[in-house]
Amino acid sequence: MSNNSYATLEQQPAIKGLANTPLVNVVRGAIPGPNPVGIEEHDDVGHLVLRGDATLLASAVAEVLDLSFPDQPLTSCSRDRICIRWISPDEWLVTVPGNETFSAESSLRHAIVGHAAIVNVSGGQTIVHLTGEHALDVLMKSTCYDVHELNFPTGKVITSTLAQAQVIIRRLDSDQFELVIRRSFADYIWVWLRDAAAEFGVNG
Amino acid sequence: MSQSNRIPGGRCVDYGSEINFRFNGRPLTGYKGDTLASALLANNIKIIGRSFKYGRPRGVMSAGSEEPNAILQLGTTPASQVPNVRATQQQIFNGLTSRTTNGWPSVDFDVMSLIGHVAGKLMPPGFYYKTLMFPRFLWHTYEWVVRRGAGIGIAPTEPDPDRYDKINRHCDLLIIGAGPAGLAAAHIASRTSARVILMDEHDKPGGTLRYSNDIIEGLPGIDWVKQITAELNAAANVDLLTRTTAVGYHDQNFIVAHERRTDDLSDVAPVGFARQRVHRIRARHVILATGAHERPLVFANNDVPGCMQASAVSAYIKQYGVRPGNRLVLMTTNDNGYEAAFDWIESGGESAVVVDIRTRVNDELLKRAATAGIRTLTGSAVFEVKGKRQVKAALVCGLDSEKNTLIGKDETIPTDIIASSGGWSPVVHLSCHTGIKPNWREDIAAFVPGTTNQKMLTAGAVSGDFSLSAALSQGASAATTILADCGFDLEDKATISCQEDTVDAFQPCFHIPHRKPTSRSPAQFVDYQLDVTAAAIELATREGFESIEHVKRYTALGFGTDQGKISNVNGIAIAARSTGRSIAETGTTMFRPNYTPVSFGAMAGRDVNELFQLKRYTAMQPWHEQAGALFEDVGQWKRPWYYPQTGESLQDAINRECLAVRNGVGILDASTLGKIDIQGPDAREFLNRIYTNAWMKLAVGKCRYGLMCGEDGMVLDDGVTACLADNHFVMTTTTGGAARVLEWLELWHQTEWPELGVYFNTITDHWATATLSGPGSRALLAELTDLDLDPTNFPFMDWRQTMVADIPARVFRISFTGELSYEINVNANYGLTLWRRLIEAGEKYNLTPYGTETMHVLRAEKGFIIVGQDTDGSVTPEDLGMEWAIARRKKFSFIGKRGIARADCQRQQRKQLVGLLPVNGDVVLPEGSQIVFDKPHQLPAKMVGHVTSSYYSAALDRSFALALVQGGLDRMGQTVQVSIGPDAWETAEITASVFYDPKGEQQHVQ
Repeated sequence: MSNNSYATLEQQPAIKGLANTPLVNVVRGAIPGPNPVGIEEHDDVGHLVLRGDATLLASAVAEVLDLSFPDQPLTSCSRDRICIRWISPDEWLVTVPGNETFSAESSLRHAIVGHAAIVNVSGGQTIVHLTGEHALDVLMKSTCYDVHELNFPTGKVITSTLAQAQVIIRRLDSDQFELVIRRSFADYIWVWLRDAAAEFGVNG
Repeated sequence: MSQSNRIPGGRCVDYGSEINFRFNGRPLTGYKGDTLASALLANNIKIIGRSFKYGRPRGVMSAGSEEPNAILQLGTTPASQVPNVRATQQQIFNGLTSRTTNGWPSVDFDVMSLIGHVAGKLMPPGFYYKTLMFPRFLWHTYEWVVRRGAGIGIAPTEPDPDRYDKINRHCDLLIIGAGPAGLAAAHIASRTSARVILMDEHDKPGGTLRYSNDIIEGLPGIDWVKQITAELNAAANVDLLTRTTAVGYHDQNFIVAHERRTDDLSDVAPVGFARQRVHRIRARHVILATGAHERPLVFANNDVPGCMQASAVSAYIKQYGVRPGNRLVLMTTNDNGYEAAFDWIESGGESAVVVDIRTRVNDELLKRAATAGIRTLTGSAVFEVKGKRQVKAALVCGLDSEKNTLIGKDETIPTDIIASSGGWSPVVHLSCHTGIKPNWREDIAAFVPGTTNQKMLTAGAVSGDFSLSAALSQGASAATTILADCGFDLEDKATISCQEDTVDAFQPCFHIPHRKPTSRSPAQFVDYQLDVTAAAIELATREGFESIEHVKRYTALGFGTDQGKISNVNGIAIAARSTGRSIAETGTTMFRPNYTPVSFGAMAGRDVNELFQLKRYTAMQPWHEQAGALFEDVGQWKRPWYYPQTGESLQDAINRECLAVRNGVGILDASTLGKIDIQGPDAREFLNRIYTNAWMKLAVGKCRYGLMCGEDGMVLDDGVTACLADNHFVMTTTTGGAARVLEWLELWHQTEWPELGVYFNTITDHWATATLSGPGSRALLAELTDLDLDPTNFPFMDWRQTMVADIPARVFRISFTGELSYEINVNANYGLTLWRRLIEAGEKYNLTPYGTETMHVLRAEKGFIIVGQDTDGSVTPEDLGMEWAIARRKKFSFIGKRGIARADCQRQQRKQLVGLLPVNGDVVLPEGSQIVFDKPHQLPAKMVGHVTSSYYSAALDRSFALALVQGGLDRMGQTVQVSIGPDAWETAEITASVFYDPKGEQQHVQ
């Protein structure tokens, strides 16, 4: 595809320090892990949505991101701070370090031959890590998905509800979870998670 | 008289830990482990409440969730009040405060009992309908008295101080009931890797083993329970939930359970702790091991305090160390009933008499009774209770072989307690929640669960086999079957041995006859909680209520909070006999969730207060809050409504904000507008089909307003779509319509036009949008960008990519106010910075932030519609005067084309969008006001339309409105009457819908 067909834009200013995370309204110091429940935002991340045929995207992802492609449902592939998650049969979510967002978008656009969509949604969502010995309990109070390790092993990615909001959850380890949440829902989810963790001695 | 009924040996109480609590203001003591019911019985408290309808004194009947009488009010403060607590399930704690729920003015003198003494004769079923309807005007007086006198419990008057929550669980095997069957099943499952949940409504597992004398695996039953429980607690794959009642069994093995987590600890839960929790459980398989409720027999005055279930007597003696009297009369239809008498004597009770309605009884059993010093009367029944406030004596007599007539002489046996056992009713309720009726089994005179589509097995007494050995073996085999089905490896199955006596057949019997006919005998209660008597059921059938569902509704049988757990079968049997049918033919009523009452708090969970509903915020929220904005809910979004300055009213603020935009420059947070990224070689073609207007020629860098219709030709949504690149567009939608429109696009793409190469993605949250609007916006924007803003190079309806305030941005020159406007879009991470820098730079231009209210006024002045406000799903583009947005000659059709062409959409006199100018320009017509052409002579009058939008305009210095009016476009200059209240009318003139700058010179400004 010619570059004229799709509009890309370096959306990060050259000047640092202008950004505010989606949790600007509520974060009064994250609750660090490990015990009993850690809730921390991981910001400065570039989020790219890829839509297209797996075969079309797989080679571009391998070439540009040096990642194998999670063509199986509910799987993910990652290395360092780069991760690609299966979202639906024609949708994947790529995250890269914030300052690599535009180069990743441009390179992928260049590498993909055929009809596909690449959308920068870095400002529209954020990542929260839920950790600690009671992280699983907090999750069970928040989502109807079966998050037991047998059904939801490390590396698995699901899209479900978290309380009244939508969430993408990836298991990072037995007691570590990555939540991808939408910006406009972030305050609500943050308050919800803190509230759910209250019984485990988390307050603040 | 402290704990005068307390005896040693209670298995579940800690005699070393005394607990202080209150009942009806009286300080009392009990022990740790006591339920409220056992502690009250220990203190020899007989009257626990007054009955619902007749106000008769009532005492504890049972020792479990089937309790109909001992329903108390708990709570020390107005906020912590809990109505309808079953004293039999509530454990006591220091400081517990309990009260009788019924009885006005007090439990000892009750107004309703004046009526109740004649129970039933003056208040038959349908009493209120039959009596209190006349004279009609007195109903409110009747109702006041009746409501004071009746009712169960009071609601708290202050906010609940407690928190509640919910948790989602999944398992391979859910076992409901931790009696012998449930424990046997769980024990086997615990040795596999299956995920198992075992739950029981009591505070400890064990079921009947908690009070029985059974021996299992050579151990006393209770010790076997402890051993198994310890193993289950140690097993990582088993979750054992106590004080947790499965209250609802829904489709696809979805079970809702209600856990009382701190009700045994304190009045209000410890900080951070949820008092109660709802478990939402999805189980691959369910074993129903819910046991059975003992059925009391129906006889005259069988509700006098001191009448109990036989098994409850054993439970209080063995579990709690409470023997509620010295003398016992026990009426039974079966061998099991004798256990209570044995326990009574063994615990030191003065005397026990067993009245067995069977003529032939096992010799061994009679011998054992004789040895224990228990007198037995066979072929006899207790047909009436003597005593008003407590049991004084039992009237006993022989029965004929049909059990329908008393024969021989009466004998009066003085006693403190009259226990009865009419057999066992399996707890079929949960199985019925799945939509099936239970089956009547004549051999055991009981209903058992029917066949369900759910993956559910039954084990133990619920299946209709009441022996201990059956419970253990059925529990084990149900678990084995399920585990094998799930593919889990099982160890060699070992059978669990137990000792038990052989049990003789029992005699089905429900209702003991009296010397007098049922209608004339002292009241024979069937449903204690709702005061339904045998006579009432017979009367109902005589009055023509034959279906058991009708009998239920007419008499209220089984309508109480106990759902008639111990009364239904007796009631059905009496109705069956009265209608000359079998019980199987009569059938049951439907059992519905919830099995036991669930507090509203638990149902609400944590979705309360600030978490009641999800709230969405834009990136600029901190600034809005600092600026003192008031917020308006738009869908789930919180949008700044207006920014009042000190002393300003709403209208003052709106006038100021409106004039600032018209004459200077204003700024609006437009981030909430729905935004959809559209990519693909067929994106343009797709737009052409989904919108009513044409899109093939929209060039890169250009924007266009689009109108979307449903198949019916009615307006669905609208917004501006921009062409970012040849195959790349960004669509905007209304704030509230964003999700719906995205689904609409996906629906048509996925189901109708999958051949079109196009993808849609939501980018609503990704872009933050600050809109500058007003004649001064160009000068202000120029301060922060190098972009050439010359109107010839950046005309109306174009967009440009640039830097604004050092932030990469897409700037759209589109307008919803009719003024020169720039919508500046940046990655939302920089939205707040952009906003602050615009405000800073805007200071010298007197930049005025404005909210949704001003936006509404400004757009209405221009006649710009809001879909959903000026339209209501019955409005076509033509009704809105927007023919220009319909491109009928598109190569491919568009959605709504055929709908718009329907005769009804093309007829004359449809309601059309017009402007309205009230003759009195100070009057703002209420939105939604109905319109008529002329003041009607009489009502109802024919309405010809309604006001859709209405405001005061500072720019026009008068009020104005938009309205849908029949044939309105042909009525320019005519007047209509607008109803603004009862017999109050405003005259308004029909005008064009554009009030301000009709030529558009302000937004096209060069």
